[in-house]
Amino acid sequence: MLSIRNLVKVYPGPVTALQGVDLDVATGMFGLLGPNGAGKSTLMKIVAGLLEPTSGEVTLDAVDVVRNPEAVRPHLGYLPQDFGFYPHLTGESMLLFLLKLKGVDAAQGQKRLVADLLERVNLAFAAKRKVKGYSGGMRQRLGIAQAIAGNPKLIIVDEPTAGLDPEERHRFYRLLGELAQDRTVLLSTHIVEDVSTLCPRFAVIRDGKLVALTSPTEARASIAGAIFEGTVDAVELTQLKRTRRVTQAILYEGRNRVRIHEPNGTPPPGFEPVKETLEDAYLVLMQGAARAVSNGASGNDGKFNRLSAVGEVRP
Amino acid sequence: MSASRFFAVFWLDLKFHLRRPLFWFLIAILAFTAYKMSSGEMRIQSGDSEVGGKKAWITSEFAFAQMISVVVFLFYSFFVAVGSGMTVIRDEDLRVGEIFHSTPLRPGEYVWGKFFAVLAAFFIAVGIDLALTALFYHAIPNADAAKFRGPFEIMNYLRPTLVFAVPTLIFLTGTSFAVGERSRKPILVFVLPVALILLCGFFIWNWSPTWLDPRWNQLLMLIDPAGLRWLTETWLKVDKGVDFYNHARIGFDSAFLLSRVAFAAIGLVGVAWSHKRFASTLRGYVSPRAARRLLREPEARSTLDVDGSVSALHMHSSPVGFVRQTIDVARFELRGLRTQPGLYLFVPLILLETLGIALTQTGAFDTPLLATPGTFAVGCMDALTWMVCMLLTFYTVESLERERNTGLAAIYYATPVRTGAVLFGKALANSFVGVVVMVACLLAGAITFLVQGKVGFALGPFAITWGLLLVPTLLLWTSFVTLLYAIAGNRYTAYALSAAVLVLTFYLQRRNKLDWTINWGLLSALQWSDLGAYQLDRVALVLNRVTALGLTVFFTALTVRLFRRRDWDSARVVDAFRPASIGKSALRLAPWFVVPLVTWIVLAAQVRAGFDGKAAKIDQKEYWRKNIATWLDAPLPSTTLADLDFTVEPERRWFHAKGSFDLVNHQQVTLAKIPITIGNHFENVKWTIDGKDVTPEDRRFLCVFTPPTPLKPGDGLKLGFEYDGVYPKGVSEKGRGNMEFILPSGVVLGSFGPTFVPLVGFQEGIGIDDDNRSTSKVYPDDFFEGQTPPAFGNVEPYKTRVRITGPEAYTWNSVGVLKSEEVKDGKRTVVWESDYPVNFFNIVAGKWVVRRGTGTALFYDPQHAYNVDEMMESLDGSRRWYSEWFYPFPWPELKVSEFPALSTYAQGFPTNITFSEGIGFLTKSDPKVKLAFFVTAHECAHQWWGNLVCPGKGPGGNLLSEGTAHFSTIMLLEQVKGLQARIEFCKGIEAGYGDSRQVDSEKPMVKIDGTRDGDTTVTYDKAGWVFWMLQQLMGREANLKGCHAYFEKYVGNPDHPVLQDFIATMRPFAPDPEAYDAFVKQWCFDVVVPEYWLNDAKKSKATVDGKDEWTVTVTVENGGTGRMPVEVAAIKGDRFVEQTPDEAAKAAAMVSPDYRESRTQVTLGPGEKQTVTIRCAFEPDKVIMDPDAVVLQLKRKYALAKL
Repeated sequence: MLSIRNLVKVYPGPVTALQGVDLDVATGMFGLLGPNGAGKSTLMKIVAGLLEPTSGEVTLDAVDVVRNPEAVRPHLGYLPQDFGFYPHLTGESMLLFLLKLKGVDAAQGQKRLVADLLERVNLAFAAKRKVKGYSGGMRQRLGIAQAIAGNPKLIIVDEPTAGLDPEERHRFYRLLGELAQDRTVLLSTHIVEDVSTLCPRFAVIRDGKLVALTSPTEARASIAGAIFEGTVDAVELTQLKRTRRVTQAILYEGRNRVRIHEPNGTPPPGFEPVKETLEDAYLVLMQGAARAVSNGASGNDGKFNRLSAVGEVRP
Repeated sequence: MSASRFFAVFWLDLKFHLRRPLFWFLIAILAFTAYKMSSGEMRIQSGDSEVGGKKAWITSEFAFAQMISVVVFLFYSFFVAVGSGMTVIRDEDLRVGEIFHSTPLRPGEYVWGKFFAVLAAFFIAVGIDLALTALFYHAIPNADAAKFRGPFEIMNYLRPTLVFAVPTLIFLTGTSFAVGERSRKPILVFVLPVALILLCGFFIWNWSPTWLDPRWNQLLMLIDPAGLRWLTETWLKVDKGVDFYNHARIGFDSAFLLSRVAFAAIGLVGVAWSHKRFASTLRGYVSPRAARRLLREPEARSTLDVDGSVSALHMHSSPVGFVRQTIDVARFELRGLRTQPGLYLFVPLILLETLGIALTQTGAFDTPLLATPGTFAVGCMDALTWMVCMLLTFYTVESLERERNTGLAAIYYATPVRTGAVLFGKALANSFVGVVVMVACLLAGAITFLVQGKVGFALGPFAITWGLLLVPTLLLWTSFVTLLYAIAGNRYTAYALSAAVLVLTFYLQRRNKLDWTINWGLLSALQWSDLGAYQLDRVALVLNRVTALGLTVFFTALTVRLFRRRDWDSARVVDAFRPASIGKSALRLAPWFVVPLVTWIVLAAQVRAGFDGKAAKIDQKEYWRKNIATWLDAPLPSTTLADLDFTVEPERRWFHAKGSFDLVNHQQVTLAKIPITIGNHFENVKWTIDGKDVTPEDRRFLCVFTPPTPLKPGDGLKLGFEYDGVYPKGVSEKGRGNMEFILPSGVVLGSFGPTFVPLVGFQEGIGIDDDNRSTSKVYPDDFFEGQTPPAFGNVEPYKTRVRITGPEAYTWNSVGVLKSEEVKDGKRTVVWESDYPVNFFNIVAGKWVVRRGTGTALFYDPQHAYNVDEMMESLDGSRRWYSEWFYPFPWPELKVSEFPALSTYAQGFPTNITFSEGIGFLTKSDPKVKLAFFVTAHECAHQWWGNLVCPGKGPGGNLLSEGTAHFSTIMLLEQVKGLQARIEFCKGIEAGYGDSRQVDSEKPMVKIDGTRDGDTTVTYDKAGWVFWMLQQLMGREANLKGCHAYFEKYVGNPDHPVLQDFIATMRPFAPDPEAYDAFVKQWCFDVVVPEYWLNDAKKSKATVDGKDEWTVTVTVENGGTGRMPVEVAAIKGDRFVEQTPDEAAKAAAMVSPDYRESRTQVTLGPGEKQTVTIRCAFEPDKVIMDPDAVVLQLKRKYALAKL
């Protein structure tokens, strides 16, 4: 069990990246969803023992990660958001080196294990190439290979699907899904689809605060029947934004295909009810949180309460 | 090219450079340097060193040119390399390239904008440097430095800046830029300044042997990027006088100016090349060769149907031990290191420099030395320490920075690998670089010994010196740099701090301020002896090294705590500075700090209490303060007999002395008090007068005795003494050996100082340092009239009886004749008696073998037999010929004994000459220049010039010891080894005089008293030449008759002669007294040196009576001073046949049968010139001055004209 209590991180500036986050994550896949700059990577780095928090506690199976980061490292698989490798090494050598550092081995031997892992992430063909010749996606897959290596209790993956093509993304989903059966996998992303596909539970973080802790089903249920879609021109869209809660506006054949959240169930003319998605729920949540922040409130306005009624919301 | 885009890049980069801490760190260094220079720390070596003498200004154009050329090169080069070489690399690291170059920005605008931004930043630095220098030199008062400061003239600063600094900066900036752009490797960027500094600092600026062809010299001047060699060789090397340097403008010649332009052009071409290359690589240019290789390789493609579960891999993790982790990290680091070209550039560079230094070591009289494994290992130490430390700085910082640079840090630091294992593994891998360098040097040493052909290779000295002494330095430095990086968190600050520590250490080393307690690299501290390794300061060495290793461990522990594997939180950092937190941290680190702290405290106590430590200095100063006023010129009794019973235990440096002096009052006054100086290491001292116990007045190591009845003229007494002691007591302050010592490897003790016997009277040299050093005594012109006291030793010669008891394995030598020798219970007891009066005596002992000649004996360590034949030839020749030429040698045997080279010197005690290893025994003699012969002949000559006749105290005295010894050597070389050896020796000492003389402060020979800069070369070299020229003037027979008369007159004479006495004694033997007087006037009472220039040399051929005849015309000009008849010769071919060492050992060099010459003579005064005609029956190829080397002159090697 990963437990986070009242975690605060202030960067010089000062910039408050985390404002007292509380979170418990049990075995299985757990998503951390939030916009860019919300504090997800900061939270991941602190949990990975790479960043010292200003205050607060993080424990993994009762081991204090803040005071004793060394204790969590043998049980950690970590894929950071932004990383690289020694360019002069081949993919195979690089992975072998990391396995040695982690003390990871297998019955078939480390070298064979390296080959197997590279095969799992579809890099066997480039095993002998120097890393400096890898594409972004190949580098990401090598990162994934090292993160899943061993038998880590906790796998932290920060924006793991960035740079992966759909095929590779799905391959990675399967790997993660398998791994999450008997360990904690913490997936940080701003891609709602990742969470929707993989995570039975997820938290939403914004401006360093946890604004929701729920499941995709609950999140979707919270806005059931309240999402409508219609097509408007630019002038109408401007008007609509003033009067309604527009969640999405996508240009389609020169006009705007707009989705709005209308909890009262009375859409404007020309709008039809559509099937709600997790992305709608997330965007509704974000808009609510943004409004709350701009109003100086804690983030729980009326619309947010609607979601909190079905989810497990923390202020 | 768009001006606006160029300026956008330019401004952005310029602002960046000006805001960098590195830039301001450079400014701080420059400010500190300017401040130190303003105190006269770096001046042209001209002027008068006496108090109040005319000084060279630090504000002159010459002085500033010298300063700016060195400062720009040494201080700017590293910063320029970082600024310029890293500019493209930095953008690549930041991955801004793709965005930049997707804009309309063109490669040219980018490259030139960046280059000019760096250049502008460093021009600004030069501007600030100039302003600071002018401020410190002219505006900020400094009474101590006022004498070095001239009036402010802006051109004194601007001209040197333009000619020296600007081209150097453009060159450095351009080449660094090109290296950085081409390689994209920081290590290679750092190689450039290091390589240039090593090349210039250790070779181009200094290497100028007398035999160097002027054309090569000119070439070296032109390829010096700093321009310093040109300045030194053209203007500074031959002292032109302080007035010239203070007021004249530097005259630049066109070749030099062209070379400066060329250096600037090289820099610009480097950037232009970078521009072209950058433009081509921007779109992924691949060379045709690489493209062909790529096309040959089959392309591997990804498969889309890969699947498989992770759990099927059955992975498991288990904790990895520290050692295993360390090895893994080190192995992967090494793989990286192996692929870096820096290693392959640095190692040969270091090898070259180190070997160059080790193999060009010189001994007495600048004679080159044979390298032995020990001298080679120690000779390389400083260079290796400096260079490997610099190398380790780069490799350590870059390896620590690598994870951040490559982006691997987050993954790497999240693994369970221990921080200690990461740091230690990296250090281990980087140490491999040091190991490679050391192994390379070791191999080079082995090859050197093989080529040298005389000395065998042995691993022991390398293992001790490099293994036990150097390795801790490298470990300490690596741990220190790692700590700096851990604290600073970025490479530039770590570099800047490391550079600051290195610069400070270099400064302290140059200022001779590194004692054992702060000398972390043992710089200039080691003194090797093949006779026994590091015996003198072994305790200090062990404590110093243990402290270094302890600090290494402490720094490592501290680094593990501070290393930013996890980014610090700023609030927690502030919290960590609370006293309580600091206290806790200190407590936690205390176990690591205890060992170095304790060993350092013990070391500091040892240094302070050592024989030249603070306590000893206080003792000496108190001796001086307490007694100088009362006892400096007090009349003293004469010693007539010194009787000493001396017991020695070399293993513990202990001695016991019991003996007596027979003192007789030869003064005209009654002596109520007798002052006796003792050493501060004398313990349990007891005194008797005529057998009765007495207690003298204790005046801080001056014991003042009151005889029962005052000693009337002619009265005498027997002063008995007994004491024991350890000598030297404790360790030295800074290493570098000691002149006298009792050690297991040998014993050397002389009666010049109170080391083993008391000295009669107050010793005015003790307790003098910079605080109380006074200017030399001014003697009246007739000071030598009447009785002149001796320059050294006793007032009157006396007899000695020395009984020595010591371990059987040693041979114990002293002055005089061995009267008895017996061995009992492992102890050898010898009795030496001077059968002829002496002025001073000594004891020397060692585990030697002996080679005996005709009335001569050479005692030497069996390892050092290399030059024994040559030295014996010299020893036998000296005894025979000096006896015949000057005065019969009165003792039955003349001995030379070798002692450990804890100090390099030779002393000619009567019958018992002492040579340190580096003198004669390890001299690198060659067939042409018989150096081992020369040093032996010189020291043997002191048996006559110094012992039989001790010169008088005062100006012109010591010349009759050293100058005459050189003159004797000249004669003996020609007598025994032939004309070529003599000519080479004369040329060598002449060049030494030319290089070392101080034109402003050089006094006439009759005024030379050894107290001014430049007096040494006059005393030895010029005086030797003048006595040699005097022989040419008088003729050999007349001259030797005069010398003989001199000895007849002064042997045993209480009046000790000075130069005027010698001149007066010789004059009656001069065949032409007028010519003699004229010669003496210009060479002894005036300061003159001719300098001959040959111009407009031409040859023409004519056929006379069917025979070809050549006529050579050449204009000879005396650009120096003095008027001497001198020969001009038209010659063909080399004069002497080349000899192998074996041939040279057997016979003198023969004149080559192909050699032809035709001579004429000219006599030219200062500024006079004359066109001379020489007719030859052969076709000459050149004209030379003074073919037989009989007229002393400056710049002889340039007095040559090719036909």
